[in-house]
Amino acid sequence: MEHTTGRILKIIITTAIIAACIYVLSLFGDLVRLLLISALLAYIMDPMACYLESRGLSRGAATLVIFLLILAVASVGVAYLVPSIAMEMQSVELDVTAEKASDMLVQAEKTLEDRLYFLGVEDLSLQEKVQELVTSAGDQLYSYFLKAGALLTNLLIIPFIMFFLLKDMREIKKKLISFVPNRYFEFSLSLLHRSDEQLGGYLRGTFIESLVIGILSMGALLSLDIKYAVLLALLAGLANMVPFIGPLVGAVPALLVAFLGTGDYLSVVYVALAYLIIQLIDNVVLKPLVVGRMVSLHPITVLLVVIVGGRLFGILGMFLSVPVAGIIKVIAEEAVRNFRKYRFV
Amino acid sequence: MNSLWGNIFKGTGEHEESVLSVLGEIPVFEGLSKRELRAVERIMHHRHYNAEEVIFGQNVQGLGMYIILTGKVAVINEPTGQVIAELEKGEFFGELALLDESPRSAAAVAKTHCSMLGFFQPDLISLTESNPKLGVKVVTALARVVGRRLRATNEQLQTAHEELVRLRGLKED
Repeated sequence: MEHTTGRILKIIITTAIIAACIYVLSLFGDLVRLLLISALLAYIMDPMACYLESRGLSRGAATLVIFLLILAVASVGVAYLVPSIAMEMQSVELDVTAEKASDMLVQAEKTLEDRLYFLGVEDLSLQEKVQELVTSAGDQLYSYFLKAGALLTNLLIIPFIMFFLLKDMREIKKKLISFVPNRYFEFSLSLLHRSDEQLGGYLRGTFIESLVIGILSMGALLSLDIKYAVLLALLAGLANMVPFIGPLVGAVPALLVAFLGTGDYLSVVYVALAYLIIQLIDNVVLKPLVVGRMVSLHPITVLLVVIVGGRLFGILGMFLSVPVAGIIKVIAEEAVRNFRKYRFV
Repeated sequence: MNSLWGNIFKGTGEHEESVLSVLGEIPVFEGLSKRELRAVERIMHHRHYNAEEVIFGQNVQGLGMYIILTGKVAVINEPTGQVIAELEKGEFFGELALLDESPRSAAAVAKTHCSMLGFFQPDLISLTESNPKLGVKVVTALARVVGRRLRATNEQLQTAHEELVRLRGLKED
């Protein structure tokens, strides 16, 4: 009886500590976000550092080489992609003047009300709703991207943290695991190794997958002569990191732009077809090839964790919620499977 | 000034030398240069155990080997409580778990306060990935250790078989 009470007390204390940690982390949201992005990038780059090490370079030299490579790629990106993205953003501003947008919305509202009358669609008040949506989305975008000072600081801090995380990743892991008591040491090391295998594969695979989706989307949108192709492709690639919901989030703006830009239903159909084919390629070729086997999560679980992640850490939280839920699932499964093997029960 | 730096680094240097000399004597790290031994030591885990503390239990899933730096360890057959072996500084145990995660064939308990180095399967995998040349050297040495043990077991089996045949012959006579 005393033993059971002790156990319950332990569980309550552990839960309280975890809850307190989550609360503190959410208080330092910005700092945690920076650390998470840096850690994520370092983690994705780790196999490359390992490969360079296997070719005879020291870890420090390997990290430096990777940084020079990133710098080169970033320079090319800045030279070619940024001007076209900036131009597209500017063109969005010029195109969507209040008057024009208002006309388009009135027209869309009328069409929908006429055609969907049988469904009981009467007063849509699209203009008001879009206005609200644009204002809130605009505010969020502003706070994320347009705070130039913060962005610049982040752009300097992230590579700085990432460099040291990548260089000292092994030592950091070793240091962290050294705090585990002897009784749970082998179990924890095994758990860390297995989670690392699963999560590493998933994150690196998703990174490559999103890159390919972005390139394919850009190709498709450019060939269909859709406006803001680079911007929309960037969104499609990024959104694709969030399972189930992501592809939809990536496709809707492209469909809207196709419709509002041309007013032609056919181009909407073409864009939808292009996105469908890309999703088919993603599911049939890319996912099995690069993402591989990842802990399968139920769609409802994914939806819930994405919402919770978004609430706690914003857009980054939405991207990271699925792999984090994956880790928790791997840990839980491994713990249950190995608890008896390591004789904890 | 020199003596200040000398005092600061004296302990660490001596400790490292002592650890490397212990590692150099372990058959799994046979033939490794000092630099390679240092690289292996960097990925190992330093663990400390109190007297009577269980290092691992019998039939518990194993993950790797332990090398004793200080102290004494008893290898015990848990069901009978019989001490199979007593190991001390420079000796090692549990190396078979580096190759597979099969259950430990006996339990290991610290007899005195022990300081040990742990070398585990994930470390070996990481070593073969980041430094394949060194990884192959360690795996080959490990294979030699296992081979030697297999030969010894075969010899014991052969002796037991001969003894059995001899006893059967005696019984028939």
